[in-house]
Amino acid sequence: MIHLKKDETKAMVAVHGWSGILLGLLLYAVVLTGTAAVFAHEIGAWSAGHVATQSTFEKPIDAQVRRLDAMTPPEFREALSLFEIGDHGLGAFFHRDELDAKGMPIERGIYYQLDNAGQLRATVRGTSEEIFGPRNDDALSSFLVDTHVRLHVPDPWGLLLTGILGLAMLVAAISGLLIHRHLFKDIFTLRRQAKPVLVDRDKHSVASTWSLPFAFILAFTGSFFSFFGTVGVPVVAMAAFGGDVEALSEAVFGNPGKPDPRPVAIGNLDRVTADAIRRTGEEPTFIAIENFGRADAKITTFHNPRASDIEPVALLYDGATATFVRAKPTVGAEPSVGGTLAGIMGPLHFGNFAGFLSKAIWFGLGFAMCYVTYTGMRLWVVRRKDETRSLAWLERTLTVVGFGLPFGLATAAAAFLVTMPLGTAVYWTTAAFLIASAMAVLAGVFAPSNEFLSRLLKGATGIVMIGLPLLRLFAAQGPGWGEAMAVGQPIIPALDLAFVAAGIGLVRASWAGARVRRRTMPVGGTTSAA
Amino acid sequence: MSSRLNTFPHSRLQTWTRILLAGPGAMVVALTLLAGMPLWLPGGAAGIDNLVFPLIFAPLIWAGLFFHACLDRSLVRVAVIAGALFLVHGALVASSLMGKTAATTERVR
Repeated sequence: MIHLKKDETKAMVAVHGWSGILLGLLLYAVVLTGTAAVFAHEIGAWSAGHVATQSTFEKPIDAQVRRLDAMTPPEFREALSLFEIGDHGLGAFFHRDELDAKGMPIERGIYYQLDNAGQLRATVRGTSEEIFGPRNDDALSSFLVDTHVRLHVPDPWGLLLTGILGLAMLVAAISGLLIHRHLFKDIFTLRRQAKPVLVDRDKHSVASTWSLPFAFILAFTGSFFSFFGTVGVPVVAMAAFGGDVEALSEAVFGNPGKPDPRPVAIGNLDRVTADAIRRTGEEPTFIAIENFGRADAKITTFHNPRASDIEPVALLYDGATATFVRAKPTVGAEPSVGGTLAGIMGPLHFGNFAGFLSKAIWFGLGFAMCYVTYTGMRLWVVRRKDETRSLAWLERTLTVVGFGLPFGLATAAAAFLVTMPLGTAVYWTTAAFLIASAMAVLAGVFAPSNEFLSRLLKGATGIVMIGLPLLRLFAAQGPGWGEAMAVGQPIIPALDLAFVAAGIGLVRASWAGARVRRRTMPVGGTTSAA
Repeated sequence: MSSRLNTFPHSRLQTWTRILLAGPGAMVVALTLLAGMPLWLPGGAAGIDNLVFPLIFAPLIWAGLFFHACLDRSLVRVAVIAGALFLVHGALVASSLMGKTAATTERVR
């Protein structure tokens, strides 16, 4: 417990309130989409109807890569990145390192996209920034992730914006801790018979206190990721390497060794993937090959953390002979405190260190954070509404964002399911979100009361959510529950059920609100706006 | 906001000074620390700790400076600590950059 003096506590209350109210709406959007993005991989599998059971790295890839290598111009054979795309397909990016007009390192090359049968489906040329956009089959999960990471604002401004939101969340979390005079008592205090404002404050206080450590971790790791490439790396490179970002990158992520440019064919990649899976117990998430086709080629396989560990795993192989060299940290050539800390930032933020369980906990706590952000702003407005009548517009805005954003996301999912078979999902997923958001704003302008607006948006979101499994099955021609279970994709029926349950809950909440309103309405009159 | 932050016994000028120190001041000092810390932190086992620590802890450094500016009753102390951190790390960075420029010029000759 930290005991501040009365005036210091007052200052912290002001800091807590203003940090939330100034950036709370954007923060709510980032936290809500981040909560959904915890299951981005699962949402991708559900929405696109993934039925392949085997990872692409559990199947032979060596012959495919050699075929692609033969098709690739020599200038792009400097390095190769391999990763999974879509329904256990293979993405292969042959590239070379370059500096852009501003002197920042970029990768330029050819990106081959293969399906899970090894058929080449698409070939894209350009820099990594140009070619790694959303595809038709992952437009929904990409949309969620892009909204969370940069709110669809172009780089670097989007990342800077979400980084600032992370700092605002950090300030709100720390000041929230400091203003609790009775932290442990507050965790369990819910006065159900008190005035509505007090009940709301208790709920906000309980939810925020329980999720405080999580809020701190999310804000800290989130702002780290946002500022890492946009501010941190250029500044550190300027001071320590005279502005040479590539030298900094090489020092932190590179594999030191004596250069040997003699041309030597790359070793058998199937041997590498099989060995990596045997050693770690799971398939790689990413494979990086540097100095491709040279005697000093190095292959690094990256894996999720092992069971009961939080740090991701990386294995280093000799590229020419495909023999195992050593396990290495994901950051730095040797194990170090800094490398370990940098390595665990990802799992701490994404919650992917203990499979489905940690993801479910991260989702639940993320949802609690959405609740805390929304109720915090509502408390701030309600407390001042009587003093300042003009704050009514802010209350209306809160409802538009608070319930309009889930409505927009559900509508985007529905649009994805309808348009994916037509090949236009990348455009319509975003367009549908914008159209639904515009409808929510219009409803906010014309709704007779804030309570009606809230009920309308809840009901509409619920109806769209209930319709999602049907759209998946009939419009997107997705697999039925039997087929999904048979191929080991229980996530498909699980998400169907989750959407239906959430949808029914929202429709019931909307309906119950209407009933309460009718009951409290005086005969022949109208109630005042909520 | 200024009226709510003006809870310590001080003037409007002091309140705005505090806001400037907590806002842009904390940001500038945090950036200077980010640039300067790699020059004196130890590299650790892999020789990267001096590069990685400032990158990881930048949000916490900023938060520390922000809350210090908000909570310390003495504005002079806030300004002195922030100023000292800024000057020491700024000087380290300037010295390092001038050293690199001199070395480059020497190589060109």
